[in-house]
Amino acid sequence: MVSVTTPDGFNLDDSGKRVVVDPICRIEGHLRIEVNLDENNVIRNAVSSGTMWRGLEVILQGRDPRDAWAFTERICGVCTGVHALQSVRAVEDALGIEIPTNANHIRNLMMLAQHIHDHVVHFYHLHALDWVDVVSALSADPKATSELQQSISRWPKSSPGYFSDVQNRLKKFVESGQLGIFANAYWGSPAYKLPPEANLMATTHYLEALDFQKEIVKIHTIFGGRNPHPNWVVGGMPCSINIEESGAVGTVNMAWLNIVSDLINQTIDFVDQVYLPDLKAIASFYKDWNYGGGLSSKNVLSYGEFPAYANNHTNASLMMPAGAILNGDLSTVYDVDVRDPEQVQEYVVHSWYEYPDEAVGLHPWDGITDPRYGLGPNAKGTRTNIEQLDEGGKYSWLKAPRWRGNAMEVGPLSRYLIAYARGKEDIKEQVDRTLAELDLPLEALFSTLGRTAARGLESSWQAHKMREVYDEMMANIKRGDTATANMEKFDPSTWETDVKGVGFGEAPRGALGHWVHIKDTKIENYQCVVPTTWNASPRDPAGNIGAYEASLLDTPMVNADQPLEILRTVHSFDPCLACSTHVISHEGEELTTIKVR
Amino acid sequence: MPAKETFYDVMRKHGITRRSFLKFCSLTAAGLGLGPEFAGKLAHALENKPRTPVIWLHGLECTCCSESFIRSGNPLAGDVILSMISLDYSDTLMAAAGYQAEELLEQTIEKYDGEYILACEGNPPLNEDGMYCIQGGKPYVEKLRHMADHCKAIIAWGSCASWGCVQAAKPNPTQATPIHKVILDKPIVKVPGCPPIAEVMTGVITYMVAFDRLPPLDRQGRPKMFYGQRLHDKCYRRPHFDAGQFVEAFDDEGARKGYCLYKVGCKGPTTYNACSTIEWNGGLSWPVKSGHGCLGCAEDNFWDKGSFYSAVTNLKVAGNVEANAEKVGGTLAAAAAIGVAAHAAGTVISKATGKRSKQAEEVNNG
Amino acid sequence: MATTTESTMGREQSQEPIYVYEVPVRVWHWVHAIAIVVLCVTGYFIAHPLPSLGGEASDHFVMGTFRLVHFISAMVFAIGMLVRFYWAIVGNEYARELVVLPVWSGEWWKRVWHEVKFYSFLTRKASKNVGHNPLAQLSLWVINVFLGIFMACTGFALYSQGTGAGSWADLLFGWVFVIEPSSQAVRMWHYIGMWVWVFFVITHIYVILRLDFASRQNGISGMIDGYRRFKDDGPMSPQ
Repeated sequence: MVSVTTPDGFNLDDSGKRVVVDPICRIEGHLRIEVNLDENNVIRNAVSSGTMWRGLEVILQGRDPRDAWAFTERICGVCTGVHALQSVRAVEDALGIEIPTNANHIRNLMMLAQHIHDHVVHFYHLHALDWVDVVSALSADPKATSELQQSISRWPKSSPGYFSDVQNRLKKFVESGQLGIFANAYWGSPAYKLPPEANLMATTHYLEALDFQKEIVKIHTIFGGRNPHPNWVVGGMPCSINIEESGAVGTVNMAWLNIVSDLINQTIDFVDQVYLPDLKAIASFYKDWNYGGGLSSKNVLSYGEFPAYANNHTNASLMMPAGAILNGDLSTVYDVDVRDPEQVQEYVVHSWYEYPDEAVGLHPWDGITDPRYGLGPNAKGTRTNIEQLDEGGKYSWLKAPRWRGNAMEVGPLSRYLIAYARGKEDIKEQVDRTLAELDLPLEALFSTLGRTAARGLESSWQAHKMREVYDEMMANIKRGDTATANMEKFDPSTWETDVKGVGFGEAPRGALGHWVHIKDTKIENYQCVVPTTWNASPRDPAGNIGAYEASLLDTPMVNADQPLEILRTVHSFDPCLACSTHVISHEGEELTTIKVR
Repeated sequence: MPAKETFYDVMRKHGITRRSFLKFCSLTAAGLGLGPEFAGKLAHALENKPRTPVIWLHGLECTCCSESFIRSGNPLAGDVILSMISLDYSDTLMAAAGYQAEELLEQTIEKYDGEYILACEGNPPLNEDGMYCIQGGKPYVEKLRHMADHCKAIIAWGSCASWGCVQAAKPNPTQATPIHKVILDKPIVKVPGCPPIAEVMTGVITYMVAFDRLPPLDRQGRPKMFYGQRLHDKCYRRPHFDAGQFVEAFDDEGARKGYCLYKVGCKGPTTYNACSTIEWNGGLSWPVKSGHGCLGCAEDNFWDKGSFYSAVTNLKVAGNVEANAEKVGGTLAAAAAIGVAAHAAGTVISKATGKRSKQAEEVNNG
Repeated sequence: MATTTESTMGREQSQEPIYVYEVPVRVWHWVHAIAIVVLCVTGYFIAHPLPSLGGEASDHFVMGTFRLVHFISAMVFAIGMLVRFYWAIVGNEYARELVVLPVWSGEWWKRVWHEVKFYSFLTRKASKNVGHNPLAQLSLWVINVFLGIFMACTGFALYSQGTGAGSWADLLFGWVFVIEPSSQAVRMWHYIGMWVWVFFVITHIYVILRLDFASRQNGISGMIDGYRRFKDDGPMSPQ
């Protein structure tokens, strides 16, 4: 290949200089990106390789399906709980278990809190340093910073003294010579566009967000016992509600519910007064950096999330709707059926796995995983010291999921586009208002910044949804319903011998599905298709490229040695590699154990 | 020599008086189970020491340990990172990437050979030449060995690094291996849990930085101060266990009264951790307090013990052969009963036929 | 074979009862038997608690009682085992049978093999034994020495989890967790040991009753008055 056009309409040219970025830091897991630059340092070819595999679904075979949530929860500790939720949903679906209304509300509250937590940590701790120059903050005027802060929000921590304190602390930190996590980075690069005051404000909020994030997760602590990795149970939630009888101190009681309510208020304040204003302020300085759209203007997918009514995962119930958009046609939103063998399929022609026939994709219920590590013929380096991957061969531990054969982008931006296209009033109004404030057209969303902005807007929408869900739950408890779990079919002796189920919804990073096959009360087959597998996917047999690869194309780099632009765009997806790289072995098939070092 | 900001400087900057600072020291000393005389030493150390370099590596893991670490309330994770330690490498938090990130490793070795703490989150897979976890194009295990060669001590964060955890559950397809089986020549502090409690993590770090030594460890290499007792020993539901009052199914009458979760599989009686005392996320709750039994996540190989919802669990007999104590036991007892009955019948028949043949013999002889 | 046996054990061929089980052995046997039964019953209910009781925690102490009785029986069991080992040194030659197996003796293994055949109905020739027959000796060693020590070690190791680091139980038995770091696994091994005991108790009682019914010597009465009685004057060797 020198120059080709992919079926999904992207031009690839690998003739220029190759730049390798490995590891990509400030993500979950291990990811490698390689790009080819043309003579103007513009990215003309991009390769995304997931560089870890844990084999979790192989491990799940033969186990008690009621335990699966705990295993799958450990797929990821950043988006903790999202796999657990889809897992209990899949098992409940297979066994025909209906959960009580309170369990649905509690799950919604936990999932909303999870999304917001994830978005906040992503924005400040994993993504901000792609836009914010910490060193430049040292030369900021605290008084001007204070004025800037007060002009964009009514957040109380805004005095000149406060910013001056933070700045002094930073100065001492830098003067100590031990730069820690800020060492050897790209400070001073012309790719950074914020004035010093905005840098100081954002750096200050980096620290504030670090303090805030440990608060919002307390919603998990109350209902799930801890965070990360709260507890769940097939059939509902393990936390009982006891509002008025003796013993209430040992369960969810009025005092705990009050803490949840306060946490929701805190969250609304932080997101609306810190996160969103910061986002808009930063975005306003990068308005002309409109790269990184990639697949977002073409194919997006969402399974929908936050069912308002228990046991109803249709668009009639989902607060965030499901759907798929193809070729950027916002006027048509397709319905998605995760059970349909023709819709969701995974390919492995460029993944380190083997299928009997790699030209075809397999639906998760029929999935095969047979790991086969090996580099393509044009790779440089050795088997255990890769200098350059060969994207013509196998090059990633990720499979390539496709929807009706199309590479899809998933995540907050996809959800927002689908909700917008479906005419969801609250979301449409929020998007239109924000675009108007920044004086940008809708197309501006199809970009790296659009992805980052959608995440922030969604956090605000979610924070306010938490309040609604909480109020609904309190109303339900007031009506006298305190049930949190349905244990009728908890005992395996009540199960049918051969059943299949699917749990699906939206994780912070996008569409997540778990497919389970239960036979003789044990897991026969288990498969997850997760957001980062969609986004960071390698190529498929038709040559379609995934969302990461597509988004990097045509981006100019200021300095080929400093991968700031690559980090920016890849980070805008919030990569989660532990999630994406763990696939299943075919029913009963044994994994080849490879020689031990 | 540039000024080095100590922990005390930071606290002062937060507007904390020296009196409050000393109070913090004595509370921390008490929290670590140390006598009052240690409060002074702690204060001295925090006031004067430059920040200890820490290299934080990630193998096969889920990043729940890093996530837990930043949940710490006392001390705040931000203060630990900015003022107590110098986090010179952390995939999750560091600004640099690619070769700029990897350069930091060599710089640390150059500047702090034998002085830095190596914090390991996750574990290395050994199958497929280690290429189930690739970093910088090479197997993770190489990076781990290289960094371990020059470190002062290792902290094995979480159950992955300490025991192997979920990716090492059978059949352990990647041959994920805990740190102490790969690095044999360095002191290792295991801080197990999936994840460990935030304040346990920062507590261990505080101890090591302030006292410049490893915390006392138990036989399995865990700090005694946090892993000295089972959850069961300090569980607030323990009186219900002793009384014989149990939750029989989730959300039943017993669950609403806060009865003991042993019968729905709580592993508190066999799990060493500080959940029932320090609790989670600022001491708000912990799994049992929120109605679910303990999974035993700080224990070796807790994934392969059978259902999380049963008190009687499975045993690994040899290789991949598993046995359920209940089934083995029941089979044994049943076999004994059936065997005895059959044998008794055999004896009676044997005796009867024996007598008959003896009589026949006597008749013949006679 | 018959010659050596007859010449060395000539005395034992008489119809006269022989004093085999001394008082400490008999007392130990019955105390041990009771302790094991109590340990098994309480152990089972620790693994499978009775249906939940209502009310407040202060109203009951059911699990606490089960555990207390289990621990007391365990102490009795352990001390009994130590006393019994001591008596194996100072007691008569039959007191040693249970503890020391003559595994170096080919002759002894032949006799084990004979008993295996006898109990499998492969031969009708019954032997006479003053103490235990070699097969009984072997199985009693497995249960009383091997399993006994196994249960004491795992049991006290689990007990040490309550008494805490540095306690006597931890100092003496904490090493168990070096071999098996998972205390849940130790618990389950201990629990399987209980079932082996149940297995043993059933077969032991059966075999003893069978002695009275289908052998050339007495069974249960031996452990009451200590005397071995034979039903015929024939040689000790199988016939």
